[in-house]
Amino acid sequence: MRSARLAVIVALVGLALSQPTVSWSIAQSSSPAPSRPTRQVTDITGRIVTIPSRVSRVADPWHANNGMVLMMGAADKIVATTLQARRQPWFRKLFPRIEQVPAAFDEAGDVNIETLISTRPEVVLMAYGGTVPRWKTTADAYGIPVFMMPNTSLADLKTTARMTGDVLGPRESARAAEWIRYFDDNIRRVTAVTSRIPASERPRVLHTATGTILTIDGVKTVIDDWITVAGGVNAATVVSNARPVGMEQIAAWNPDVIIVGTAPNEENRRAILKDPRWSQIKAVRTGRVYVNPTGVYLWDRHSAEAALQVLWAAKTLHPTRFPDLDLEKETKAFYAKFFNHTLTDAEYETLMRATAP
Amino acid sequence: MIRRLILLAVPFLLLFVSLFVGRLDVGPGDVLRIVAAQLFPIQRSWSESVEIIVVQIRLPRALMAMCVGGGLSISGAAFQGMFRNPLVSPDVLGVSAASGFGAALAILLSRSTLELQVLAFGFGLAGVAITYLLARVYQTTPVLMLVLSGVVVAAFFSALLSGAKYVADPESKLPAITYWLLGSFNAATLRTVVTVVPAIAVGTIGLLLVSWKLNLLSMGDEEASALGVRTEQLKAAIIVCTTLITAAAVSTSGVIGWVGLVMPHMARTLVGPDHRRLLPAALSVGASYLLVIDGVARTAAAVEIPIGILTAIVGAPYFAYLLRRTSGTWQ
Repeated sequence: MRSARLAVIVALVGLALSQPTVSWSIAQSSSPAPSRPTRQVTDITGRIVTIPSRVSRVADPWHANNGMVLMMGAADKIVATTLQARRQPWFRKLFPRIEQVPAAFDEAGDVNIETLISTRPEVVLMAYGGTVPRWKTTADAYGIPVFMMPNTSLADLKTTARMTGDVLGPRESARAAEWIRYFDDNIRRVTAVTSRIPASERPRVLHTATGTILTIDGVKTVIDDWITVAGGVNAATVVSNARPVGMEQIAAWNPDVIIVGTAPNEENRRAILKDPRWSQIKAVRTGRVYVNPTGVYLWDRHSAEAALQVLWAAKTLHPTRFPDLDLEKETKAFYAKFFNHTLTDAEYETLMRATAP
Repeated sequence: MIRRLILLAVPFLLLFVSLFVGRLDVGPGDVLRIVAAQLFPIQRSWSESVEIIVVQIRLPRALMAMCVGGGLSISGAAFQGMFRNPLVSPDVLGVSAASGFGAALAILLSRSTLELQVLAFGFGLAGVAITYLLARVYQTTPVLMLVLSGVVVAAFFSALLSGAKYVADPESKLPAITYWLLGSFNAATLRTVVTVVPAIAVGTIGLLLVSWKLNLLSMGDEEASALGVRTEQLKAAIIVCTTLITAAAVSTSGVIGWVGLVMPHMARTLVGPDHRRLLPAALSVGASYLLVIDGVARTAAAVEIPIGILTAIVGAPYFAYLLRRTSGTWQ
């Protein structure tokens, strides 16, 4: 009896010594299954979350972050996802198996807890918008840790990439670091030019979130951030994403540029150009109404392609100030490097027009 | 007589005032000249963008608010008489839920605004048709059967609507459906006004023509038929008229609650329960009410405030006040 206990202690000490870089502990699980080695990570709310040392099964209720995981080459670790992530045409093209992954989460981020448990995730990667999901206690009871990451700015996007990589493992972590370097390089490249643009030459940009029912993206969003980086000013003064505004308010803002941010982007753009109520808006008069590109996820939102979005927006807002920025070349290099996919010319066009490949 | 003139004048006065109110500063002189220029040949002294604000943005919105408000209110008054129940609103037969689903479907399928309106209107009519057929018993449609069938149809389409919201893209389509369901006149253009006004006008005129028969019907089906009213035809006519109005309203402006429920009561406190006077009064009160509410919705904040929220915030307390004052007897 005593010697058995001693053997366990010796084994534990041996394990601990063999991997000095991570803090090892034994999961306090009541299950009779042999305990697996774990490590601890800290999420954005400051909670210390215990996860297996090698994560191979993640649940991702965050549409945009599924694309991040794909970019890190770990899409095969996703065991539970959302309907919308499964529907993104480019996601499906690059990772067709997503269709077989159960959509345990609905559009609002709520969960079918039994589906979630049945997929046996080792961790749930969750966007933190100020509240912890109410099903977290149930998940806790089943030993499914919920790891929260921030989602309201371009800086948050980097934090989320880093944190996602940390959770997924060293290979993904290196990939995330590579992406962050690329992202930072692009921001530096753009701001080197745009930071010298005087306020009077910064176009006022309106970014629409929906077409039929007019909603627009306000300040304190990822969208506001990349508009600023690209040398523009958000024409909208309201706070947060997808706010409904009246036509007259848009006339009052009178934006210099309009970026149409939702599917079907091209049809929504044509609807704006056709509508007499928009005809005297400066952007319409000067023909500066653009479709935002879309890929694995919406470029303009919390996506891996946000790294390209800053280039696209800078070139779109200030074409003459970025004469040597070849967007097609950059885009093709990006998808080849981060999604292992060589874009054809036709595919590049579908990205730019935000249509299915 | 004077009261009648006031009731007639107030909505048009408010319509006129609405043209001066908005987020943009447009000089009152310019507004006056632009309005006059629509009627008389006047030398243009204002910019085209100002004219668009007044003629393409403010005018259609105000016209739409006026028609929808009046339409919903007169429909509510007619239904309250027909069902002999003060708690009835125009969507008692399920028209709003069915129209709402039609609109959500259009948003889900990324259809154009016009297609959205057609789909919402069509589903609204279909929903009420189902309710009516469900309620038929031996060539009659008892009021209780109508109400219960309405509950069934509304519940069914609400479930479909929830299904549509469930599968909607949360970054774009879900907010669109949500805002649409809360009601807004933001999508109003001169073209939508022109396509919607005929349906609302036909329904309204129809209701005004049968208003004296409503007095008999509100005594009960048996009493009314004893007095020579063909109650089934009358009920069918009223249902057709209110459905035309409500489906047209919902298909262009979303679901605007409380107007059809509360405004008839407001009208009743002004002119009494006689439907010959009540229906025109409800028309006027409802139109004025939504003109004021929409004025607030589009000027109070940079963000558009959904109409449905405002009508409920104002309507619910007023309804509570009426409830207390009449101790539930509604006399």
